[in-house]
Amino acid sequence: MNSAALHAADLSVPGRLEGVALDLGPGELVAVVGPNGAGKSTLIQALAGLLPAQGTIQWNGQSLSRILMADRGRRLAWVGQEAHFEFAFPVREVVAQGRYAWQDDPSGVAEALAELDLTHLAERPATRLSGGERHRVGLARALATRAPIQLWDEPVAQLDVRHALEVMRLARRLATEGGTILVSLHDLRAAYRFDRVLVLDQGHLVGNGRPHDVLTAPLIRTVFRVEATFVESLVPELPPD
Amino acid sequence: MRSRAAIPALLALLAVAFLASLAFGEMRLSFSQVLAALQGGGDEIARTVVRDFRLPRALVGMAVGAALGASGVVMQAFFRNPLASPGLLGVSSGGALGAVAVLALGPLLGFASATLWALPLASVAGAFAATGAVLMLAQRGAGTERLLLSGVALNALLGAGTSFLLTTTAGHFEVNAQILFWLMGGLESRSWEHVWMGGPPILAACLLLLPLGRPMDLLSLGEQSAQSLGVDVRRLRFQLILLSTILTAMATAVAGMVGFVGLVVPHVMRLAFGPDHRRLLPYSMLGGATFLLACDLVTRTFPLGLRLGVVTALVGGPFFLWLLRRPQ
Repeated sequence: MNSAALHAADLSVPGRLEGVALDLGPGELVAVVGPNGAGKSTLIQALAGLLPAQGTIQWNGQSLSRILMADRGRRLAWVGQEAHFEFAFPVREVVAQGRYAWQDDPSGVAEALAELDLTHLAERPATRLSGGERHRVGLARALATRAPIQLWDEPVAQLDVRHALEVMRLARRLATEGGTILVSLHDLRAAYRFDRVLVLDQGHLVGNGRPHDVLTAPLIRTVFRVEATFVESLVPELPPD
Repeated sequence: MRSRAAIPALLALLAVAFLASLAFGEMRLSFSQVLAALQGGGDEIARTVVRDFRLPRALVGMAVGAALGASGVVMQAFFRNPLASPGLLGVSSGGALGAVAVLALGPLLGFASATLWALPLASVAGAFAATGAVLMLAQRGAGTERLLLSGVALNALLGAGTSFLLTTTAGHFEVNAQILFWLMGGLESRSWEHVWMGGPPILAACLLLLPLGRPMDLLSLGEQSAQSLGVDVRRLRFQLILLSTILTAMATAVAGMVGFVGLVVPHVMRLAFGPDHRRLLPYSMLGGATFLLACDLVTRTFPLGLRLGVVTALVGGPFFLWLLRRPQ
């Protein structure tokens, strides 16, 4: 995977996101957290160029709006919060759509299927999957793009604990290989595993830094309106490979 | 049945339907008579029947069937809904109102509504006006749901206009009958002019659609995901609406209102061969052409005054229900 940085300045979507500035660098695994309606999905969609947003977004210094649609599919991958498939494409073909921007060159599709534990479902119609399986299909499709920047909107919210941990491990590995991974989360405990955490509240970026520095009890009280302390040993672990 | 045999099989079915529609009718011809007539031989009456009457009728039927089949595929991918049909955005209702207006008001305004070109031109104008109106109504954001609801509203409005004209002409029996005939679709007395009117735009739109099959695959699974994967969604949506409008408008202009083809044909093809649009588009064009010729044959064979639009629904409806009841 080649590397890329994403830079956003004064990023606004009227009524949903206000003046967000951030930099995501190669090799970084970043979480974005915030209460419902804080603007997590909006931020992720805006960074992926899927929303008309004000401000600037640069992909390795190049303005995103100047990058052809067909090229964006190789540079940024996005996974939505909801995965619905209305037509009965086999799982393999849905994942192969990740290769659209590569003239449908099929390399990497089989690996993406294996990575998300979908090989045994490859021929099943995507309309006959559970919610969690559909999410894994969406992730596999994003992985198949081989895009250096991966933007995943709540990728683990619907997954069972094992697959959720495997997706987290995959995200970590992609970052180690030089990828830039931004993931929105609701599970604050999981956010402690990330290199950096962004906190959104009512469309504003109110926290941006290392998890232990940012996710303090006062911030969690202000933003989420709950009292919280964290016991790290409760964070589930996958057995080593 | 898998895809390798699909094109030859569909072509063979189409050829059978095509030859049958040249052979059957009030005057029953043998296949050898048909072939002789096509080559310019045989007896003169058979030659006239085949070349001047049945051949243009069959060609118009094929074009209309292919157009409605393809347009149905486009609308279903566009709205990510297998229940979408070519008339969803008001294209056919607009075409109907245009044609009905000419039929109803022509005599009052003192020009002959029977003028060969007046009816189709008014129909095409009505169809494009309807599409334009829907696009304008839904422009801000132009989200799928908004477009759909605008289409529903416009369909109701245009239908009301057509009903109004139909009731105001209720005293004029002949005009009324013409309108009713047109609203139920049909290929009677279609001439070579109709072939030249409808054929080239439908053929062109079909050819322009074929390369859009792959991006349609992505669009049919979600607009945002398609765009994130490299599809220029805005542009694709515009192309699809434009081509689908041309197809539906031209089909309506030369054959009147023919329902159900655009819904049932893509469905059958999808059930038989899967949802890949690179195949679904050509298969639905061939399947639509065959289905329409077969339905037209029924209208000629059963002397009950059956209209084409009635037959497509009569044949298509039960078949569709049977398909839906079949275990997956």
